[in-house]
Order: sequence, then structure tokens, then C-alpha cells
Amino acid sequence: MKKNIYQPLEAVIEDVITETPSIKTFSIRPKEAFSFRTGQFIELTVPGLGEAPFTPSSDPAVKEKIDLTIMNVGAVTSRLHALGKGASVGIRGPFGKGYPLDQFQGKDILIVGGGVGLAPLRSLLFSLFSASGNYNRIVLRYGARTSGDIIYKSSLPEWSKIKKLDIAVSVDVGDPAWNGKVGLVTAVLDNLPVDLANAAAIVCGPPIMMKFVTLKLLDLGFPAQAIFLSMEKNMSCGLGKCGHCRIGKYYACKDGPVFAYEQLKNIHDIWE
Amino acid sequence: METYFLKNEDLPRFYARISQDYELYLPVKAESPVKIKCDYGFNLPTDDYAFKRHTPDGARDFIFNEYRCIEPIRAYLANFKEEIGDYFSGAGPAPEKPLAICGVKNCDLFSLRILDFVFLGGEQEDPLYKKRRESSLIISGDCPGFKESCFCRAFEINPYPSEGFDLNLSPLNNGFLLDIGSGKARGIIDSLSAILTPAGAGQLSGRAAKRGNVINKLEEHLRHHQIPKKETLQDIVLSGYNSPVWREQMRTCVECGGCVFICDTCHCFLLADEPGAAAHKRIRVWDGCLLKNFSRVAGGANPLRMRYMRLRNRYLKKFDFFIENLGLQACCGCGRCIEVCPGKIDIRYILRKLHEEKYLPAA
Repeated sequence: MKKNIYQPLEAVIEDVITETPSIKTFSIRPKEAFSFRTGQFIELTVPGLGEAPFTPSSDPAVKEKIDLTIMNVGAVTSRLHALGKGASVGIRGPFGKGYPLDQFQGKDILIVGGGVGLAPLRSLLFSLFSASGNYNRIVLRYGARTSGDIIYKSSLPEWSKIKKLDIAVSVDVGDPAWNGKVGLVTAVLDNLPVDLANAAAIVCGPPIMMKFVTLKLLDLGFPAQAIFLSMEKNMSCGLGKCGHCRIGKYYACKDGPVFAYEQLKNIHDIWE
Repeated sequence: METYFLKNEDLPRFYARISQDYELYLPVKAESPVKIKCDYGFNLPTDDYAFKRHTPDGARDFIFNEYRCIEPIRAYLANFKEEIGDYFSGAGPAPEKPLAICGVKNCDLFSLRILDFVFLGGEQEDPLYKKRRESSLIISGDCPGFKESCFCRAFEINPYPSEGFDLNLSPLNNGFLLDIGSGKARGIIDSLSAILTPAGAGQLSGRAAKRGNVINKLEEHLRHHQIPKKETLQDIVLSGYNSPVWREQMRTCVECGGCVFICDTCHCFLLADEPGAAAHKRIRVWDGCLLKNFSRVAGGANPLRMRYMRLRNRYLKKFDFFIENLGLQACCGCGRCIEVCPGKIDIRYILRKLHEEKYLPAA
């Protein structure tokens, strides 16, 4: 019989890392072969409760386990946060098109993350690092609400040693322990070391952040077709059937979740 | 197309033969509190029909429905709520006897084009829908009458089928013309040769005349509603994004979801879990964009938080999304949503208003 598209595959939680008081990274090991392309998402199920969509934050080249960085905001995620090592979850997917890496080749890559939106971008970064010869330069700009809300704290200093990578982080609200930039992430988007004529910008974060970052990038001179946005809506089926994630003539699940702003710019209320 | 004549008195035998191979559903008269009368002197029927499972002793109840039944056909192909997976046996759904649904009308056949696009299209197929769609026998029928809410012809959908069925019944004199639309029922037709006679030219022209009369009467009825032509639908819903009609119509919405659940072409669903003591089930349950939490995301943000946004979203889906992606509007003119709505929200009125706002702007 053909594969049942609604049937989850079992995966076991192997490790849980507490990133912030409300965000954890779960490392899960699928019981059968499972692979994804960076930027594709999966549906993660808590048996008996339901599922929710997440984009893996790990390197797609690593096949045996998948990292998912998850904020505790809803019914499924709060139950997930209560689960520990050894717990069994379900996964379906991968869904969507993922990041168009072929369109990034030979370019300066600007990556702008907000909050937990850095999760899918970490997966993208791993993909870029492993083929860094294909890209001119990688510029990462990351904004979090406070210094305590920054995720991947241990990775950031390591990444800043990578030659091709230029990192700046800002927090919306400063505190005595924070020596860096204070302000919205748009504050670290001035004087970018990128060649606008040959660059791609990849943005992921809350809708309000993506809106203002997109406006800023347009202002800086990025063309609409060079700005890539993660439009993560409340996908349920993941396959363009259940109807939940419609954006104009697209479904975020099957046509996205990554869209060029060019595709979206004439659609009403995309930032809602 | 092969066409035969079947006498009224042989209909029970025809049904009995089908029910040997299929789980057969047939129309019966149904009691419904909804009676929309015509307010300009047309005397239109208000009877309702529902599908009922065929049993030999219940044969007297079954009648030929003058127009569509209350339920949309998708209720039989993708049930309101059904198990579609589990943790983690992967056993798959239990086998079912194939369905035969009789009393399907041309509006319903149109809706199958939408549903097929959704459930069979794309990269992956819905396994349950596919199994039922392939195995089921669709027995459609002409509409010798129509209700006040019927408006198929406004979108150039005829009140009689010409394709998309396995068998079609057209009432004529003291029996029915039976069209063979697919090879699926070949064995059944061959075994009924004793009660089927090839249709004569006179019978076929008689049917054509009857069909023409229904169209004329329906179009006269539709003139009172001034429904925009299908070629304008995408344009008027897009340009009517900020129309006052959305808010105005939603004043009486009680958020019952009736319109989306009774709709022939609505298809939205949610995958959910049904916890059990022994084992949890994965279910596919209908959802609808007129319901408050349809687009709500974890954390509480809801892009369709206001009722008028949800109404507008439904029209954009039907008349922008589907026309853009499939070339067909996701509305077959069955009028079920008009009848079911306790708030008297009327799709014919909304489309007419959108059209007027675009082409007859107020001075």
C-alpha cells in the first residue's frame, strides 16, 4: 500500500537543551530513515494531544538526528517542554520547498533572525558553512528581546571565529550584563558589508519583525526578489489540502514556507 | 454515450442489483425546518431530500429527488470525522464496501472537480479519499425542478449532468433514461439487460426539451438575483477587499459554521488527536474558515480575528485561490449555504454587491 501521508513516524527524544526560560532545543532520533532540506518543516506530534509545525534547526547533512528549537507558547509546545529524554514523539514530513540554495550561490548572504526565528536559520547556516566556497560572504544579524532571550548562546562565539561570517547581535531592552547593541534588529542593518547588487537576504522571526526588516531592506535597496521570508502559518496537513495556511494564491506549506517577497508583495495583510 | 430506458417499476430491481456490489445510498424526503419561499410569485418547491442507506424493505421510501439533497457529497468521500492514522502501528484504515451514491446532482459533480484537485492533486494523495473515489459508483440525476436557493446556471453549470458520473438518470414519461458514463458499472448493466432497452431518438429529444424547459425557468428565476458572471468573480472579490459588504453581512453571523460544513466545495480540515486509554487515534476532522480559531497560531495571534475577515477569506479562497490555481470557482451554485444560514447571509447578494461596487459605483 502507498504511504499514508497522515501517519506519523516514531522518533525518540535523545537530548534536551534549555536555551532560555521559554525555549528548548530537542534532539530527536527518528526510528526510520528521515531526511530534510534546510528550510523545510516537519509536523511534530505529541501522541494523544496533537501536532504543530516546526522547521528543524540542525544540519540537514546529519541524518540520524534532528534538532528542533521550540518556544513554549501553546498546547503542544507546553506539553513538549514537559517531556524529557527517552520520550516518544511523532513526526511527519518534510514539507515545503525549503531555502532556494541554488539562488544563493556566488552571492553575499544576509541572514536576519528575530527571537526563536534563529532556529531555521541555524540549519541554513550549517548548510552554508559546509559549502562556504559557494558563497561570497555570510552576514548574520540577530535580535532578541533581552540578553536572556538569546538562543544558541554557546554557538555564537564559535561562529564569530568563522572568517567568512560577520555577526552582530542586538537586544530590544538592555541590561547591565549586556555589552552589545541595544535596539530593534533593524538597528544592526545599517552599513551592511554586503554588495547589494549581488546579495540575498533571508529573514525569519515574528511577523512584526519580518515586516520592519523587509521595509528596511527595501529601503536599503534590496530588490523584492532577493528578500526571502519564512511565512510560518498554522499548517496542519503540510501538503496543501487542509486549507489553513493560505496566503493569496499560495499555501505556506507546499509553496513555502520560504517565499521571495516578490511573490507576496501584492497580497493583502501578509504580516497579520 | 450509451443510453437506455428503464421503467419505473424496474427501479427497485436496478437498485437491488447495485446494492449487491455496493453500499448504496438513495434519496428520501427529509423534514427540514428551512423553507425559503420565493418572494416574487414563482411557485417553487420547498421539499428537502437526504441520503438514506438502501435496504430492500425500505424501498418504498426512496424517491427520485427533484434537486440536490441537503448533504454535500463530500460527506461520503471524506467523512466529517474519521480515523486516518495511529501511534505507530501503521496498520491503515479498515477495508470498506464500495459506496454507490444515487441522487447526486450536477452541482455535486462540479464539486467533485474541486475536491479531486484538493485530495488527489499535488504531490501526495489523501489515501482515504482516493480509495473511496476510485471504488465508489456515482449515480447522478437530472434536476426536473429547483429550489429558491439554486443558482447553478448563474455560473453556467447546467441542472443536468453531462459528464463526471458513472450512471445518470433522467426522468422521462413512466421511467428513466439511463446514461452509462464510465466502464465502472459495466458488469451491472450487462446483468440488467432484461430491464434495459436502448433509448430511442424520440426519447432523447424529449429529454432535451425537458432540460431546456428547466433551464429557461431557472434563468428566469435567476434574473431576480442578478448574480455576476463567473468571468468577473475573481476580479470583484479582489477589488472588493475593502468593501463594506463583509462587515455588513457579518452582523448577523452567529459563527455556527453551517455554511462551511454544508458547502459542496469547502474542503478544509484539521488533523487532530483523539486520546484513548489503550491507544491514541489520529483523526481528520472538518474545519472551516468562518470559525473563530481557523487561522489562530500558537501564542494566540489570529490573522482572521474579525468575523468580516473570515467571510472575506472564504470568498477569496473560492473565487481567487481556486480560479488562480484550478481555473474554476469553488462554488457550484447549490445554494446550501443560503438555506442553512440562520443569519440570512446570502452569497448571491454578496457577489451582486461586490459587482455593483466595482461597476456601478455610487455617485
